[in-house]
Amino acid sequence: MATASRPTDRVNLEHITVLLIDDNPQALDILSSVVQGFGVREQMRSTSALEATHILKRKPVDLILVDCAMPEMDGYDFVKWLRREMPSPANETPVIMLTGHAISARVAKSRDCGASFVVTKPLTPAVLLQRIQWLSKDTRAFVTCETYVGPDRHVRNLGPPPGTTGRRNGDLSAEVGEATEGNMDQWAIDDLMKPRRVAL
Amino acid sequence: MTTVKITRSKSSLSRKMAVPGGRTVQDALDLAEKGLESHREAGMVKIASLLIQLEEATARRAEDSQGLIYVLAADLLDLAGFFETGPLYRATFSLCDIADRMQIDTVWDWPSVAVHVGAMRLIMADGCQSSATSEAVLQGLDAVRKRILAN
Repeated sequence: MATASRPTDRVNLEHITVLLIDDNPQALDILSSVVQGFGVREQMRSTSALEATHILKRKPVDLILVDCAMPEMDGYDFVKWLRREMPSPANETPVIMLTGHAISARVAKSRDCGASFVVTKPLTPAVLLQRIQWLSKDTRAFVTCETYVGPDRHVRNLGPPPGTTGRRNGDLSAEVGEATEGNMDQWAIDDLMKPRRVAL
Repeated sequence: MTTVKITRSKSSLSRKMAVPGGRTVQDALDLAEKGLESHREAGMVKIASLLIQLEEATARRAEDSQGLIYVLAADLLDLAGFFETGPLYRATFSLCDIADRMQIDTVWDWPSVAVHVGAMRLIMADGCQSSATSEAVLQGLDAVRKRILAN
């Protein structure tokens, strides 16, 4: 994972084209202002994922920010469509999925539909900019197979959580605690989405 | 047999962001924060409007309002997530959690929804500030959430 930028480092988003997709027009306006603040000069906006598919057929973009929950076609289906139906290299366009209600099942769903990153709200410009910078240095391979099309999902198996003992290396803790489905921490999400080389 | 194709190519994002120029990270963040802030007032008005709709749907307690509760709460959460709304965000997240679970389990508990919506109103009235009161309210909501998720 790329190191954090210093405030004096330069970031150049002037030449990129961003597609923003959110069915909530107000959220779209806010996101648009944030991206504009980053220095993006060309952005396209859509309040419907279905409409966004038509936009992409006409014009390639460099980055897509898409909300997860939308009527008609949601963010997950949109990313699946992008990865499977668009020709290369458009199907490899980096995608950041944005979600408010980030339960772990949905983060896993985002990863499995082919998203490059998931950013959970509360959203800060600092987190979003950092993820865009990470994506610009992303060295992940792009995988195409029958069941999955998207950035390499291989993750390092960290074994049982620290301080716990599994039966085998790789086992989870034997203690099943109270069910919790709170908002995943952004770092935990990044860790889930960011693959690492696995020694086999 | 499944065929797996693995490719490695540099994205146009990488290439374009590697071009020298642009602005400093600090300037980019300052401008983005400024842009975000310019939407705060309108955002809070919309949040207040969504809360009223949630209150109305909760008061009706109609079976066809159940799906609407999650949709409204998720919309509110989306907007609240852009601004510093601390306890309101947490209360709304909890409401999304329970509404999502109750829809999956097809067991709907209106009092649990009502206590969340009431708490959100209380937090809004307090300016979405974290305080001993908001912490106590959130602890109560957490107990409700855990009870529903444990079922």
